[in-house]
Amino acid sequence: MLHLLLLIGLVAFSILAILIRDLLKSAISLAVASVFLAVLFFEMNAVYAGVFEVSVVAGLITVLFITAIALTRSDVDVVESRSHLIVFPLFFLVLAVIDILVMKRLLGRIPAMVNPESGTFAEVLWNQRTFDLVGQIGVIFAGVLSVLALFRPGEKDPGHESPTGDAALTGRQPRGGSHE
Amino acid sequence: MIFLFIIVPLVMASLLPLLGKFSKRFLPDLLANATMLFLLVYAVISAKPLIANGGVIQQAFWFGAPLNIRLLLDGFSLFMLFTISLVSFAVTVYSINYMEHYGAKANYYALLLLMIAGMNGLVLASDLFNIYLFLEVAAVASYALVAFGRGHDELEASFKYLMLSAVASAFILLSIAVIFALTGGVSFGTVAHGLETLNVRFVVGFCSGLFLMGFGLKAALVPFHSWLPDAHPSAPAPISAMLSGLLIKVSGVYAMMRVFLNVFGLTPALTTVLAVLGIASIFVGALAALGQNDIKRMLAYSSISQIGYVVLGLGIGTPLGILGGLFHLFNHALFKSLLFLNAGAIEQSTGTRSLDKMGGLARVMPVTAATSAVASLSIAGVPPLNGFWSKLLIIIALVQAKMVLLAVLAVLGSVVTLWYYLVLQHQAFFGKLNEAWKSVKEAPFWMSVSTVLLALLCIVVGLAFPFVIHSWLQPAADILGKGVSVAMGFIGF
Repeated sequence: MLHLLLLIGLVAFSILAILIRDLLKSAISLAVASVFLAVLFFEMNAVYAGVFEVSVVAGLITVLFITAIALTRSDVDVVESRSHLIVFPLFFLVLAVIDILVMKRLLGRIPAMVNPESGTFAEVLWNQRTFDLVGQIGVIFAGVLSVLALFRPGEKDPGHESPTGDAALTGRQPRGGSHE
Repeated sequence: MIFLFIIVPLVMASLLPLLGKFSKRFLPDLLANATMLFLLVYAVISAKPLIANGGVIQQAFWFGAPLNIRLLLDGFSLFMLFTISLVSFAVTVYSINYMEHYGAKANYYALLLLMIAGMNGLVLASDLFNIYLFLEVAAVASYALVAFGRGHDELEASFKYLMLSAVASAFILLSIAVIFALTGGVSFGTVAHGLETLNVRFVVGFCSGLFLMGFGLKAALVPFHSWLPDAHPSAPAPISAMLSGLLIKVSGVYAMMRVFLNVFGLTPALTTVLAVLGIASIFVGALAALGQNDIKRMLAYSSISQIGYVVLGLGIGTPLGILGGLFHLFNHALFKSLLFLNAGAIEQSTGTRSLDKMGGLARVMPVTAATSAVASLSIAGVPPLNGFWSKLLIIIALVQAKMVLLAVLAVLGSVVTLWYYLVLQHQAFFGKLNEAWKSVKEAPFWMSVSTVLLALLCIVVGLAFPFVIHSWLQPAADILGKGVSVAMGFIGF
């Protein structure tokens, strides 16, 4: 029952994060959804996953979101859309019906786990999944480089030259011209 | 040591932003090109002998100490490594001139090398979760590269690409989670063995569906293609070439075929689904390309169409079909990269991508026009160029598999391809030279070197296709043709 309540909370706040147009409220909804997920992880004995979920997703990332929003926010009040308020709950309802009708039967067909790759957290991370660490370094590195590349200073945005979106076809500088 | 295919571009990617502080152009150009040349030569000279007796699982070492990293190198992965290195080398050579006016060249090369490291890691992975992880490395780098110009269109296309790609990743991850719950492992051997002993066809079908949606989105197969016509044209030309020439094939086609053929095993139902999606992609892509006025958008739709041929060939699962599919994958990497690079040269020289505004450019850009003609004829399947042989193999394979209707449709698709590429050639290069382009000059030296290299490869591969098939394609096709026995052979590693 507790799991069910946590799952409902998780999905409800996730949907709320998409529904709300006010970025600050949306970020907070996402953080609350993340806390529900973290509690679920703890409940299911995935302690490390729970710790990371709380500290990184609910904590660190939310702080970054709120800082970025606070730095860029204008004073204009955000008008929330009404159509989304109907569409998303309907979508959620359809998904729930599919879930009840199909997923339970499907999960029932999955046999119990056979010889899972197990061990302590450190063993799994450092010894069994070493190659994943290389990939993780790659992903983090790609993220850092993306920020460096996309927020590089001193260039004009060529798209602003043509607000109709025609810039892709006509707004480019010929060779010899410069973006700088 | 095949770990070098991942670690060398990764290390260079970390050094380039630092070195870029001292030398904004020369060092990044030199090091990025040297890295790609090294990987290309290494694939040909050092890695090729390793697959002489089939596949190997090689353990990585770090300063003499063994690491728990086991990489799978067989005919299929080596063929992909070779294709990645070859096209990436042409792209880095082209970037020397093309990326001048974008600025931040060191960061650009760093992201490009990260994307290459991600693709190399993906093709050398020996388990499903590694595939997912390295797919993300390549994908994250590619989002930034699509938006590298930072214009409105670039950012919008990159965001759309990011959103749909995240959906694809979620499908792939969910499928891996279900498989892990089923078999207790994610390595190819454990999964293949587990699925065979469990006999859970229904769940395997469910996971296949998730993988089909996930990898299908990455490969831009119809109906999962909507992101590609925005993302590929908006990126800088060398990145369009990388995305259309390589990324959709590595993170879409390679991953899908490795899982379906070598881990799950191809079933008649899956063959039918792949054949239908392949034919749908051929026609949707080709017909949409016909109506385009933006040259890069036309090429992007053409990629969807050509990926259809690759999936059709590989999906039917016969030895000849697999061979034809792989050959077309290689050929498409060559000529579609070339076409995107040529489109970039035209855009840089004239400032437009609109075919309506071009015309007569062959007089002022003869090298671009000639190489573009070679690529267009190749992709349309005109003999004796490389595209003809690969399409011929696919069509013969379809006839042999008693799929005559699909063979006829594949031929019709090729006719439509010829049609829109003739339109492209006519509107861009032939006819009266537009007054505005009288002072336009040919593409700079390194850009021309890169396009000439790719055009020559299209001709040479077409003329020497038996050699290419024997040395590179047959070992790859053999691996796919062996089915799940390949993964079974690696149990315990």
